[in-house]
Order: sequence, then C-alpha cells, then structure tokens
Amino acid sequence: MIQQSTRLLQRIAQTHLALTLGLLGCSFLLSAQAEAGEKYAVRAGIVHTLAGEAIPNGVIVIEGGRITAVGSADDVKIPWDAEVLDVPHLEAYPGFVEAHTSSGMDRPNESVSVAPFLNVRDSIDPVAFYFEDCLRSGITTVNVQQGNACIIGAVGMVVKPHGMTVEEMLVRPRAGLKISAAPKSGMSRATQAQTLRGAFTGLRLHLEDLVQQKRNGNDFSRREALYQGRDLAGERGKGRAMMSKGWTVEGLELVPRGEVDEKQEPLLDLVEGRVPAWIYCGAPMDVRLALEIASDNGFLERTVLVLDDSCWKAADLIAEAGVSVVLDSTLVRTEMDPKTEEEEEVFIPGVFKDKGIPFALSSRNSTTESLWFQAAMCVAHGFTRAEALAAVTATPANILGLEGEVGCLCPGAAGNVLLTSGDPLSVTSFVEYVVIDGNLVYDRSVDIRTQHLLEGVVPEGTESHAEEPEVEEDTRKKAGDEGGSR
Amino acid sequence: MIWTSFLHAVCLTLCAPPLQDAVVVEQPQEPEAPKAQPAVVPVVPAADLRLHAERVYTGTGEILKNALIEVRDGKISSLRPGRSAPEGVLQVKAVTAGMIDLSARLHSNFNSVEQSTEVQPHLDVAGSVDLHDKRFARLARTGVTTILVNPLDRNVIGGRGVALKTHGPMEVEARRLNGRPILRGAIGSEPSAANHAAFGRPTDFYSRRPTTRMGVEWEWRKAFFDAVAAKRLPEKDFPGAEDLREALAGKRTVMIQAWTTQDIRTAVYLDEEMQREGFGDLDLVIDAGAEAWKEPGILVRNSTIVVLPPHTAGGRVGSDGAFLAWNTASLLVGEGLTVCLSAHGAGPGSATLGHQAGFAMRGGLSFDQALAAVTSAPASVLGLSERLGTVHEGMDADLALWNGRPFAATSRVTGVLIDGVIVVDPR
Repeated sequence: MIQQSTRLLQRIAQTHLALTLGLLGCSFLLSAQAEAGEKYAVRAGIVHTLAGEAIPNGVIVIEGGRITAVGSADDVKIPWDAEVLDVPHLEAYPGFVEAHTSSGMDRPNESVSVAPFLNVRDSIDPVAFYFEDCLRSGITTVNVQQGNACIIGAVGMVVKPHGMTVEEMLVRPRAGLKISAAPKSGMSRATQAQTLRGAFTGLRLHLEDLVQQKRNGNDFSRREALYQGRDLAGERGKGRAMMSKGWTVEGLELVPRGEVDEKQEPLLDLVEGRVPAWIYCGAPMDVRLALEIASDNGFLERTVLVLDDSCWKAADLIAEAGVSVVLDSTLVRTEMDPKTEEEEEVFIPGVFKDKGIPFALSSRNSTTESLWFQAAMCVAHGFTRAEALAAVTATPANILGLEGEVGCLCPGAAGNVLLTSGDPLSVTSFVEYVVIDGNLVYDRSVDIRTQHLLEGVVPEGTESHAEEPEVEEDTRKKAGDEGGSR
Repeated sequence: MIWTSFLHAVCLTLCAPPLQDAVVVEQPQEPEAPKAQPAVVPVVPAADLRLHAERVYTGTGEILKNALIEVRDGKISSLRPGRSAPEGVLQVKAVTAGMIDLSARLHSNFNSVEQSTEVQPHLDVAGSVDLHDKRFARLARTGVTTILVNPLDRNVIGGRGVALKTHGPMEVEARRLNGRPILRGAIGSEPSAANHAAFGRPTDFYSRRPTTRMGVEWEWRKAFFDAVAAKRLPEKDFPGAEDLREALAGKRTVMIQAWTTQDIRTAVYLDEEMQREGFGDLDLVIDAGAEAWKEPGILVRNSTIVVLPPHTAGGRVGSDGAFLAWNTASLLVGEGLTVCLSAHGAGPGSATLGHQAGFAMRGGLSFDQALAAVTSAPASVLGLSERLGTVHEGMDADLALWNGRPFAATSRVTGVLIDGVIVVDPR
C-alpha cells in the first residue's frame, strides 16, 4: 500500500517535471536543474565578489539559478524557503572561467581540414574526468572548442562542468568557430594559408551561385534543401541581404537562408558576425595570417586569438588589431639569443598586460597547473591579486561575451560560487564546495578521487590490498664459492 | 618583424640543448675513500657581498628576521638578525638555502648509458656530463643550486652519479662535490624496456637480457653475489666488483629507482637478503618512490631514504604507472623517514622544485619539513651537510632569494647565489 502510494507520488512528480520542462520550452536548456523559483543561499566567512570590496560575513542569494542578492548578512535577508549552505569558516569566490580548451571531448580533432559544419556538442563527454577535475580546481565555466590541428574546425560551445547530458551542461551553444592559422600536421604554412583563404572564397562562390540560380529562375537549391529535409519555414524561408563588414554578395536577399548549404552556413554566420572566431596561432608569424583572414572577411571584431607561448613577439600587431587573446599555459618562455646563446626568460602575461591587450589564462590540463595556479604564478611575477584573478574570471567572461553572467558574484550573474578553505591562490587551500546555478554540485568531503590523490586512500573495492608476504628467516649458510651460480 | 621572429624561432629549434660529445668509456677506477673536499674555486673570485633579507629560513627551524648576510670567499661569513639594511645593500624578502635536486635527470639520454653490459658499477657519469648544457642555468634560475646527475636507468646498475653545483667552473672535476659516493641503478620496467629475446628475428642491439622485471632483479642479486664470490676467487673478478663490495660495506650509497610498491619491495628485499647472507648492509635510497605511501612499514624497518618524483594532478606518474598520493611526503616524514623531493629537472615555466615543496605542503607536510626535503635532507644524502642545505656561518653561500614566502604559488625565486656568486640578480 505504502509502496503504491510512493509510486503514485513519484509519477505525479515526474508528470509535474515534464510539464514544467515542456512549459519552459527551450529555456530549460540553459539551467536544466534549477527550476524557476528554486532558492539557494550561501553564507560564508568572506564573500569576494571580485566586483568590489570583499564582504565579511556575507550572504549570496540565488533564485532560479541566478544571483539575486549579495551582501553582508546584516543587510541581505535569506528567503525563508531557501536551502542554505552555511559555511562561516570558508571564503566565497566566483567560479573560474576557462576561456578555451579542447578537453572533455571524445577526440579533439577532426581529420577533415575544413569542417565548420561539425559541432563539439557531438563530441563532448559529460562524464569525462576532465569536467570532474574542473570542479576540483574551481572552474565552473568552460569554453570547449575543437583542437588546434585543423584549418577550419567545428563550432564550439560554452558549458558548465556538471550534468549528465550535454544539454544539461549547456551555457551557450554556438560559442564560435575554431580556425587555425598554424599549419596542421603534414601541411606547409603556405598550404594552410591558401586552404584557409580558399574556404572563404568557396563560401563566396557558393553564395554567388545561389544568387545566379535564383536570377536564372531555377530552383535546384530549393529542391536540394527540401530533399535534405532542411527547414524552409519562417525566417529560414526568407532571404536577407548580406550583412558583412568584409565582403558582400549582391542579391543574397533573393536566396532564402534555409537554402544555403548546411556545410557553408556556419562560415556565413561567421562572416556576418553572428558567431565569434577562435583562431589558433602556433607561432608569431601566424598572427598576421589570422588577423588578415579575420579582417578580410569582416569578423575581426569578433575574433579571439588562441596563442602559443611564442606569440608574445607579435604582441604589437595584436594590440594594433585590438583583439583579445587566450594565453598558452606556459607562462614563462625561455628565449635564446641565436648569436650569444644567452637565455632570457619572458613572462608572457606581463607582455600582454603592458601592451593593454585583454588576455585570459588557460589551464595546463592534466597537470597540477590549473587556473588557480596560473593566476598565482602571475602574482609571483608581480601582478596584483586583482589583476591575476581577473585573468581567470572577468576577462575570460568578457572574451566569451558572458560579462556579468559569469566570473563575478553580482546580482544577475549565474549562481556559480566556489567555497574555498582560504586564499584560492594558495597551495594549501582547497575548493570545498562548488555551487553551479544554485545547485551544490561538488563537496570535497565526499570526493573519493580527491581523497585518493591527497590522502592515498584506496577506495573500497578498487584495488586488492595485497598483504606483505612473510619473509622467512633464511637459515642457509652464507653464500660462498657457489654465490655466482645462483 | 614577423621574419625576424621566424628566424628566431628557427634558430631556437636548431639550437636545442646540445647532445654531449663525450661518451662514457670504461674507466677502471681505484675506489677512493671519501676525501676532504677542496674549496671550490668560483668562476670569478667571489666578491665580498652583503645581503639583507626580511626573513632567513635557516633550515634548522629558525626564522631570522631582518638578517644581514655577509659572504666571503664563497662562504657565509656572518649572519646577523635584527639589523636594518645598510645603504646600497642587496635587499630581498626571503632567503633559504639553495635547493638540491637528487633526481634532476639532467643527463637522462642515451649518451649517458654504456650499453655493453647491464651492470656497470665502475662507471662514473662525470665522463658524460656536458657543463655547457643550458639546463644547468635553467635549474639555477629556479633556485636549485646543487644536483645529482645520474646515468639514465636503462642499465640495471648504471654507475656512479656525480653531484654538481648548477653554476661554477666549466670542468667537471673542478665542479664536482666529493661527498658520499652514490651508486645508481634501477628496478622496474625501465632497465629492460625495449630489450627482446634473440630468437625469431634478426639479432640487433636490443637482443639482450634482461627482458623482464624479474630479470632485472636477478641481475642485481647476481651482481652482488658475484662480487662477494670474486673476493675469494680472484679469477672471478670483474670490473665494478670492488664498487659493489664497497656498497655492501656501506661505504657508498645505493640509489635505486623504484616507482611502484612492487619495485620498492624488491629493492628493500634485496638489501635484506644481503643482510641475511651476511654480505653487508646497503645504504639504500629509493628514487622516484611514488608508491612509498602504500607500504611505509618496509621502508621504516630498513631506514630507507626516499626521493619522491613530481606530484601530478591525477596522481599517476612515471613510466611504470605508479600513483603518487600527495600526502606521501607527509606520511613518510611522520613515520620518521628522510624524504627528499624532486622536480625531475623542471625548469622555469613549469612546476619547479620550489613548487613541488608547495605541493607536498598541500599534502600535509609542514613548511619546515618541506624546506628540509629540498635542502638539508638531500644534502645529508650527498654527505655534504657540513657545506650545504642550511643557512649559517661557514656554509657554502648557495642561497635562493625569494620575493615572498618560499614555496607559495604566489612567490618565486628571484635571485640565486652559488658559491657567493650572484648567478641570478634579483635587482
């Protein structure tokens, strides 16, 4: 009887959830777990909003996944029905933002050289250890992009490192197209450059061809689109004049947008400025090509350069172009004078800071050098704490177009909060809890892998506890002449 | 500008660290007793130097505030706390002794491996050291002032390591630190890696033994048994036998690379077998003993010293897939063992030896213990405690100058003194 009623209750709950999700429509993708109205509050010893003074004995209120109030416990009232994480011994910080990574994917690179029609959504593995590790190191927003071994790569997306499906993880779909100005394996620089330029020429020819077909009165592209099952209703059925700052195709308004080849469409989005570009430069000389491509095709304003550590030498060029950059995880580069063989160390973030170029730090994945460590290295090299923390919070948030959404603890931002045992830039501090969108998603006290790593605790059932074999007392005589023959 | 950068980049590629030109040759050596170390002559005669530090971490548990350090003839001539900084004197936030890496892996390439047999206790790696290697200077810039250079672990017993300052005279003999001699070898998969049996394919260089872990262990035991046997039967003598007998007599330290718990066991059991047979007692140091945390008991009963490899985010480290828990150093020190840390030669831009000390603190080691693990503990392994590893009068003026609290991720080594010479100027 009791079982029956429990099941009934469950079914009601499920139906209710399905209805809610249905009503919310697409918006549930943005915050899969926090339903509108769900309330969560954090009370911490110190709240570092990173958008003003630190607040002792502070309170953060999160409703429907968004921060609604931050302030001193004296000023901010916690709603009576909010779930409260009361941790006066901990400090609250906004979650760190990883501006660019190719981790968390099944395989980071597609062998097809020009593949803007791909989407990392199909490759992200929600249960990859990488995402778990993000939480441990306090990263709550991750921009996943295809690897650097491409010419034009997939469309990337911004995710949070928590959720059982990619949809649950989603923060922002179509977070840009990955391009590489550095030659992929087996290509010369010239071939790379030519293929890259050729991709945009290809787009232009395709669009011109579509316009010509329309002018000729044939409907091949429409039939092809219908044959492929593409959407030609609504906006997709209408034509729009080309909106590019680079080049234009006269008469594109004649072509319904749904008729543009799917394989070319993401490139058109790029040229028309609807998605940003993440252009990898593997050497200083690649920067010029990257800027040329971006500027010729009208998306310079929406370009972020993903730089190898050698690219500090092109800092002047980058400053002139006014683009933002994501730095390599190697922060200190050793340069050698080819004549004197004298070595010199260059602290790369320092170069970009001096030139006034907005830069985001990036983690060295799978090592100890996560974002907190990179920020700490900046302090060791003379940055202020605020500057160093900005390079892992506010600046990457701006670069991702998520300013005010992530990277600070301010009203209106996503409810992403780290609770640390102390200064997050200290080796002896730990991320104790992580809250994402008002959900507690990480608790170090129950993190078996961290216990394994830090305390050598072998989780039960994962390894046989081999007993040390008994060493019997050897009663044989001391080895003499036959010693060597044993 | 792009073109100059390109040329620069090309040059950098071409000018990668040079391979050593010297090849190890068999050098039958008279085993020499540790002798008194002659004073090292710095490249330039050390100018008398004064240095003022807000804090000096002496390495003996003391922190001296506002200390004035005077250096004369490459040695610390005086150390006086509670002084204000005189005009024009070099001022720094913090000073520790220069760090010592016993597993710097500086010459871990095939030029340091004599491959004619698996057991080469008589060779001295000094013969293959290239002092022009840029990595010495890179290590010096991270505050590492002394390193132990060992042969690559592709032999079972690779030979004798050489302790060197990371800056000094450009001759190995002039720069080497003659402390306690160290015999280097390995247990695990590395010495047999790439070897294969001679049948079924054309014979090549790798058609040799051992091809397994157990083969490696057998080589160790055979070497010691043979050495003991050869003492009675001179016709069975072989190069290196005397070195092995000296090791058994405890006159030189035996440093064995053993990453996993099974290999650490093998090393300790080897030592215990030697004791049972009455052959002697090895002075054993386990290098890269990542899994020492699993069975600290066997290390405690044998008073084995452990050198730990660098910490990694996932814990897995090294070619044998060992797991280094971050509390290993803390656990072993708690058991009363001597622990040294190593960055395996990481230079600036990566997790340096100073960072490793910080990571060990993340795993629970106290600051003083961490400091010891990168200074005084390795100094004592090298038998050079009289000269290195702590900051006080009469010690070598090997100092790491920090811009904040040592080992914090937010500070770094900004200056380095080696034998009183300013190798990296913090100004």
